[in-house]
Amino acid sequence: MLNRRRFLGHSCALGVAGTTVATTLGQLALTREATAQQSGYRALVCILLAGGNDSYNMLVPTGTSQHDAYSAIRSDLALPRNELIGLPGAAANGETYGVHPGMPELATLFTNGEAAMIANVGTLLEAVDAAAIEAGTARVPVGLFSHADQINQWQTAAPADRIADGWGGRIADRLQSVNAANGISMNISLSGTNVFQSGLNSTEYSIGATGNGVVGINGYGDTDEFGQFRTESIDALLAIDQSSLLRREYRQRLRASIDAQSVFAGALAQATDLATTFTTSPFSQALRQIARVISVRDVLGATRQTFFVTVGGWDHHDEVINNQAMMLPAISQGLGEFRDALVELGVFTDVTTFTTSDFGRTLTSNGRGSDHGWGGHHIVMGGAVNGGEIYGDYPLLATNSPLDVGRGIYIPTTAVDEYFAELALWFGVGTNDIDYVLPNLRAFYTPGTPPPLGFMSNR
Amino acid sequence: MTTPQSALHRCCRPMLVTLAAAALTACGGGGESSAPPVTTPPPPTLTRQAMVDASRLAAQATFGLTYEDIESLARRGREAWLTAQFALPASLHRPLIDDFLARRAAGEFDDFEEDIEFLIYFRRLAWWHTTITADDVLRQRVAFALSQIFVVSDNVDTLLIYPHALSEYYDLLQRHAFGNFRDLLRDVTLSPAMGIYLSHVNNRRSNPAANTFPDENYAREVMQLFSIGLFELNIDGSVQTDAGGLPLPAYSNEDIREFAKIFTGLSFGGPNASFGSIEPFFTAPMRMFDAAHEPGEKRLLNGAIVPAGQTGDEDIEAAIDNLFNHPNVGPFIGKQLIQRLVTSNPSPAYVERVARAFNGEGGTPRGDMQAVLRAVLLDAEATAAPGSISDFGKLREPVVRYTALLRHFNVESDDGFIANLGFTLQSLTRQHPLSAPSVFNFYLPSHSPPGDIAAAGLVAPEFQILNSNTVVNFANILDFVLFTEFVTEAPEPFVSARINLDDYIAIADDVDELLERLDIVMTYGTLQASTRNAIRAAIEPVDDNNLRVRAAIYLIGVSSDYAVRL
Repeated sequence: MLNRRRFLGHSCALGVAGTTVATTLGQLALTREATAQQSGYRALVCILLAGGNDSYNMLVPTGTSQHDAYSAIRSDLALPRNELIGLPGAAANGETYGVHPGMPELATLFTNGEAAMIANVGTLLEAVDAAAIEAGTARVPVGLFSHADQINQWQTAAPADRIADGWGGRIADRLQSVNAANGISMNISLSGTNVFQSGLNSTEYSIGATGNGVVGINGYGDTDEFGQFRTESIDALLAIDQSSLLRREYRQRLRASIDAQSVFAGALAQATDLATTFTTSPFSQALRQIARVISVRDVLGATRQTFFVTVGGWDHHDEVINNQAMMLPAISQGLGEFRDALVELGVFTDVTTFTTSDFGRTLTSNGRGSDHGWGGHHIVMGGAVNGGEIYGDYPLLATNSPLDVGRGIYIPTTAVDEYFAELALWFGVGTNDIDYVLPNLRAFYTPGTPPPLGFMSNR
Repeated sequence: MTTPQSALHRCCRPMLVTLAAAALTACGGGGESSAPPVTTPPPPTLTRQAMVDASRLAAQATFGLTYEDIESLARRGREAWLTAQFALPASLHRPLIDDFLARRAAGEFDDFEEDIEFLIYFRRLAWWHTTITADDVLRQRVAFALSQIFVVSDNVDTLLIYPHALSEYYDLLQRHAFGNFRDLLRDVTLSPAMGIYLSHVNNRRSNPAANTFPDENYAREVMQLFSIGLFELNIDGSVQTDAGGLPLPAYSNEDIREFAKIFTGLSFGGPNASFGSIEPFFTAPMRMFDAAHEPGEKRLLNGAIVPAGQTGDEDIEAAIDNLFNHPNVGPFIGKQLIQRLVTSNPSPAYVERVARAFNGEGGTPRGDMQAVLRAVLLDAEATAAPGSISDFGKLREPVVRYTALLRHFNVESDDGFIANLGFTLQSLTRQHPLSAPSVFNFYLPSHSPPGDIAAAGLVAPEFQILNSNTVVNFANILDFVLFTEFVTEAPEPFVSARINLDDYIAIADDVDELLERLDIVMTYGTLQASTRNAIRAAIEPVDDNNLRVRAAIYLIGVSSDYAVRL
């Protein structure tokens, strides 16, 4: 019979249950052999700057006349020209640009050809101009300028609709089977459930940034009397069929989590002890954990993975200058550290990291900050990136710019679909699947032709 | 700042030491069960149906009731209970906050504030003690629901640091929970916490010379989230579409710019108020400074005009009226209240009945919250037999699962104060009152999990925070509460609470009677036979009645039958 002391005594082990994983790992090794025919490992790391990063202050003109125009439009939000960190070379428009003074690591990555910038990207249904928008004849994304819609569309790549499945999730719908069948999604999130990694048949596997990333049910799988009691009774509960869809979903999630936990924790226990150091910022710690997961990709039987991490707090209607001065350095630092860790692991060419955000912001000021905009600039980093270039078209800034739809909101000159297609094609999404993954792509790009922007090398 | 994780580890260390003692004290075998309350004359016996009906209303409308409270509700009946709840005074947080501040000033917390200032604890301590102990149980639950519509959060430093910032905001929600929606909308608009959260405090009139314009943040969200939503709605909550089948927007970006002008000129109130002051003042509404308010005419929705020359306060009243009288408000707010309290997927007819109550068709004023809540909680759909309407029900959210565990089982503490910080709960489940990651709350009302639920065209908002990590974490919270000393997260010198299971231990010899009582209290009779049999088989061999009760609660708490209420 169970006694109370055993019942209570287990509970201090908050984190990982002492589970035997040898059997599962053995099965894994077998599965892995079957998938070894696939091409080498590749991963996409999606960084979501939630709230709408004011990226016209992340990538800024450094030429005198363009910086003057920038200053005139941005007024109290303008960064002084002499504080910007200049990037080598010129953009396609002949102008020169620099990054925010708090982002020296990004400047170095760019200069070394390990990162590129994508200028003025945004959600579009089709190419539009300001006149058509003024006249109300343009077809534009639903809920333009609204957080809920725009943060969603940057993940769904379906700007005409409000859908819940994202392009990373749809990739998993098609490619999950290249990984070992161990209950761990190819889509791993450091920020919980998200749209990007939700497919029609796929959900993310959520992990934490600390320890081995996952916890099990306390005591489940323990071999003592109470552990056995707990394991058997929970297994019995979760074996019960449910007629309610919601109850079925809860049961399925709990069961799947329990099953995957031992595999995942067992794999992470073998993670490389990285020599690269990471700062304590939550973003850096999330990237550190991603690097650790990548280091055990073979143990996990993963040939394709996406990772997702959200950094919130970019909705700077006020204090945009001070807040960005605090927050952009953490992004830059994290990217530099992550690059070093990936180089250490020998996978920098296999991992491409990219930023997303709800939207850019108004170039004009509200006296303290900026409001919701449209096009914005983004970062792509990795050994397979043709770095050191600004891709897309950085608009020439002017108070009467033909792209300005009011308050210095610039119509995107590159669609998110083109940006994402370049990444998806590199990742291995075939032309058969690309329309499923990016349903609006054909408005801007014909699959089968050279990649839309050219920022990824074909290797 | 102490992280929730380290708080957990802190709690764990002393626990090892105290386990043996706890086993001795808590293991009394039911010998000290409290005497039943004396009532004269003895009330008539309640039917099981009356008990499960009452318990279901409690699950929808409260943070959890004890068996005795459920009996009392059952004796009153639904409508009389609602009426009585409407009449109870609000259990405001202000007195607790002021008491904490006085005790802090007197040095009571000096020895404990080395690592972290208690100022960030106070509003959390006030919320938990009030929520767990207050008698105005309906008001507390409705205020929490409102806090997930009118979202502010301590993820903004100013709202974290000042103890009155969020406690005053919650008091505002409490005060208006049974009042009129228009007053609620106006006072939320003027709340300094909201002014900080959506940046309309110190929002200045446009300045063409400097190329600056009013901040559009509040103007957008007050429409999108707090009143009318993105699209023109029919009274049953369905979206109106144009000839091409596209949804009709309820407002344009131009409308947002006009409303942004309305919300200029507000700054903090209080004795030394001046426009532009950055020193927050939370115990009074924001104040209008007309010199900073956008002059001139402004266009509102549906063709309404605010004439030039009005004061800023008059402009705001006009804008609030304009939004409040928009036909969208009833279905938009009504449906969300249904989702928060009753079910994720109400039928259009249910939404329409609530919207009509909002619109005052029953003879009450437009926006009367008591009429709306009656409509939400007494609707035939809300009270129909569980399981009789397909797809009815919702995933219980983590905060409510946790509070119910404490409130069902007679939570108590040595000093009578139920101290909890909630950092652990927040870290493990991604939910804590007034701590949402953004103005879009912990989950969206439209969240539809991929798979069968999405394929069926259903939504299940709470699943947005139930992932492979959090689903297990909540099971472990049950584990702490039932099998460890970690019932609440109390910073010294506060003491952790405990639950009192004496009444259950007293009947635990009879496994069926025990499960029957737990089924009534926790799952209002919806524990399906297979689940009950599995739990019965598991706990019957446990011969220590204290353990048997705890194991039973744990297993019910983990089960799908409990996690999703029908």
